[in-house]
Amino acid sequence: MAKHDIVIIGAGLAGLRAAFEGVTAGLNTAVVSKIHPLRSHSCAAQGGVNAAINPKDDWHDHAYDTVKGADFVGDQDSIDLLCSEAPQAVLDLDKMGCPFSREEDGTIAQRAFGGQNFARTAYAADRTGHAMLHTLWEQAIKYGVKVYDEYFLMELTTDAGRASGAVVMDIRSGKLEHLQAKAVCIATGGYGRLFAANTNAMTNTGDGIAHAMRAGAPAADLEFVQFHPTGLLRSGILISEGVRGEGAYLIGADGQRFMQKYAPNKLELASRDVVSRSMVTEINSGNGNNGGVFLDVRHLGRNLILERLPQIRQLAMDFEGVDPIDEPIPVRPTCHYTMGGIRTDKWGQSIGLKGLFAAGESACVSVHGANRLGANSLLETIVFGKITGKDMVDFIKNREGRDGAATDGSHAVAKVSARIAALKARPRDGGVRQNDIRQTLMDEMQENCAVFRDEARLGKAWDAITTAKAGVAKLYVDDKSDAFNTDVITALELENLVLLGEATVATAIERTESRGAHSRTDFPTRDDEKWMTHITSHFDKATGNVTLGRDPVRTTGNPQYAPAERKY
Amino acid sequence: MSIPQTTKQTVTLRVLRGTVTGGKLVQRTQDFQVPYDITTTVLHALEWVKAELDGSLTFRRSCRASICGSCAMVVNGRSRLACKTKVTDLLGGNEAKNIAGSVAMIGEANVIEVGPQRNQPVLKDLVVDIEPFYNKVKKILPYVQDGAEKQEHVTKDSFAQVNMVSNCIMCGACYSDCTALVENPDFFGPAALAKAYRFVADPREGNKTARLKELSEKNGVWDCTRCGMCIDACPKGVAPMEAIVKLRSLAMEAGITHTEGAKHAMAFKGDIATWGVLNEPFMLLKTKGIMGAIGQLPNALNLAKVGKIPNPFPFDHKVEGLHEVKAIYAELKKNPLDVKTKAADSGPGAG
Repeated sequence: MAKHDIVIIGAGLAGLRAAFEGVTAGLNTAVVSKIHPLRSHSCAAQGGVNAAINPKDDWHDHAYDTVKGADFVGDQDSIDLLCSEAPQAVLDLDKMGCPFSREEDGTIAQRAFGGQNFARTAYAADRTGHAMLHTLWEQAIKYGVKVYDEYFLMELTTDAGRASGAVVMDIRSGKLEHLQAKAVCIATGGYGRLFAANTNAMTNTGDGIAHAMRAGAPAADLEFVQFHPTGLLRSGILISEGVRGEGAYLIGADGQRFMQKYAPNKLELASRDVVSRSMVTEINSGNGNNGGVFLDVRHLGRNLILERLPQIRQLAMDFEGVDPIDEPIPVRPTCHYTMGGIRTDKWGQSIGLKGLFAAGESACVSVHGANRLGANSLLETIVFGKITGKDMVDFIKNREGRDGAATDGSHAVAKVSARIAALKARPRDGGVRQNDIRQTLMDEMQENCAVFRDEARLGKAWDAITTAKAGVAKLYVDDKSDAFNTDVITALELENLVLLGEATVATAIERTESRGAHSRTDFPTRDDEKWMTHITSHFDKATGNVTLGRDPVRTTGNPQYAPAERKY
Repeated sequence: MSIPQTTKQTVTLRVLRGTVTGGKLVQRTQDFQVPYDITTTVLHALEWVKAELDGSLTFRRSCRASICGSCAMVVNGRSRLACKTKVTDLLGGNEAKNIAGSVAMIGEANVIEVGPQRNQPVLKDLVVDIEPFYNKVKKILPYVQDGAEKQEHVTKDSFAQVNMVSNCIMCGACYSDCTALVENPDFFGPAALAKAYRFVADPREGNKTARLKELSEKNGVWDCTRCGMCIDACPKGVAPMEAIVKLRSLAMEAGITHTEGAKHAMAFKGDIATWGVLNEPFMLLKTKGIMGAIGQLPNALNLAKVGKIPNPFPFDHKVEGLHEVKAIYAELKKNPLDVKTKAADSGPGAG
């Protein structure tokens, strides 16, 4: 057993930013990551990070854009914090050495992004997340954060109703260990791998959210899943919004543009949820091709494509076998981001389990509400990574966290060990292959719980969840060894996905309205009377099922933030 | 899985598998027949095997889009990202076509050979121990430091300076293909040195000269053989060897010329400027000093026996057209090469 003040699960931007606060405050800070920190999916973020740095900009405008983008169920106190702290959070990164792109005068360059009234997106070429992640990893080395590299979260431990640490597996040896901590932070990202078409890394299986729920911390907003309009049809690899920014058209199988029917002003540059819905409507009405439509850049001409979209062209050629100079690119709405997560207060502490904190995509401090704005996700990681890190330091130095937890974790380790042994012992005969469970689950979620939902489809999705739960109980693995057993790890990741799938479908059934990314064809309008609230998801230990609750949207009384019709 | 169920054509995936038992690595190859089409990558093929045939096949992977750096492995003799390497690009002579000017290592037709990265201990199948690689990155102190040379004001050009090396995803492909590491396992390796250049070139770095001194010592920039393998191996266009050469030039400009590597480079330059050819015995003297040169005597005698020692007094050895060589040097003196990266050649997204 190892003892730390702070144990952070997940070494992406949010986790490393929180670790920076812990270690520079003199606390013994450890980060656990199932892949090397630089492999974290934060590195794949391209576009940038929003912040009202420009003297002509105002963070209040940024906050309003975010409240509106969230379709009015974002928490207003969190959003104010996000946007007011944004400039300093970006300047912190700059000071640490992040290679941001520059204007001629040396100030940090900013570009325009969707759904906002000012060009406030700072960037590092087309690899902003990568540049930021490397910078924070550098700081972790500089200040001596203890990194448990390639360790997998098996269970969160609690002691007298408080988070007390985590049981983790050293992937390299298969050995289990309990890490005791005064404060535990989840920063494991989202669970986009629940859907067949997605832009996410294969490791985005929501492990931290699922384990937090099992440990007694509720999640919220799990029904809100963002589908990016233009993922490549077959691989789901992202084709940036910037391509439509350059003037690309969306066309159906008939070769005609269709966005004028749905968003006559903004056309292809309407907000993500609107464009995704329009595409699926076309596909469902017979104007699609193999379940997708086309992104057409041919009219932009060979020279512009070669000059400004070389990487996009390469992706289309590599992963679809199509040269966009000559042919339109097959695309479909693709799961991109999960707005929900572990429900926290404005400082990042779980509302249900003391001593447990969460930051980044795995948290629901609810700055995104029902729909996230582009470039607010990187911002959330560095603002709330910082705020949550500071709150953990305060929790340990000045609040309940002063007394260390007493759990030695040996009981939990034994329990986890028995679980792994049982999984490995399960016979192939009469068993279910994990890929069959996963593929069916992802296909069914994509078919029935994606861009458009209704009672009948959600019923089918619920059946798929029931089947997956039964399948997981009979899942067998081929690899019985201890060292680097990725067969066992992917099986455990699947268990986490199934739990989050259950909560996603349950909350989608519960919310009988259409708001942001949650669009019910049987309840096509927003219902502010009934649904200006978060739906929470709880894991019932007795039954192993998900139960639902409510948590109010935190408001500030700012009259500007009153719900209004959302038009772009 | 993006492999369509309808595809009929298959390829043989020949995987070099390995397990460590009692501290000893045992490896064997195993063939799998994998369906493919024009979009199938080597990673898809590996995932298909793991999903359908053998869950114990072990490899690292995450993003599928060549940005996380997890899946670097040796495919048909070269280190590459499995997620970025298409099956069809490896078959039917396509590899030679796709990698212009290189010696394509094509074995049997319709067979793709996959193995773990080189220069690193194998843990299991395609997974290598990345700790030695990262320890070397840590050794170069990979973070911006405060110090006397720190500039507060940065310019647009600052980003261009570090743009290309900032592309590095630490996948280890360059490390795996590095020939200098085969001879000297303590060599920092291309990725760590490219990372070091990223800081030396950053105006916000406060200890540039101290870094250059450190990097000029043993296992540093002068241990590179300049074979260029790292440039070919890099999936992100970082060109680590160019960064290493820039570090050498910057070190010499900063007066760090006491190292054998620097002395050798200066002797090389001097000889060419004076004679137009190299005077190898004298270069040895200039590089290693008198005592060092004496230490090389056994080697020299062996070489002399087989007539491999040229006349050390090449007064009749000047090349034809020496004035043209001298003109090049005169021109370089007038217009010195700027070793810094130009915005124009600093890769995608510069500025």
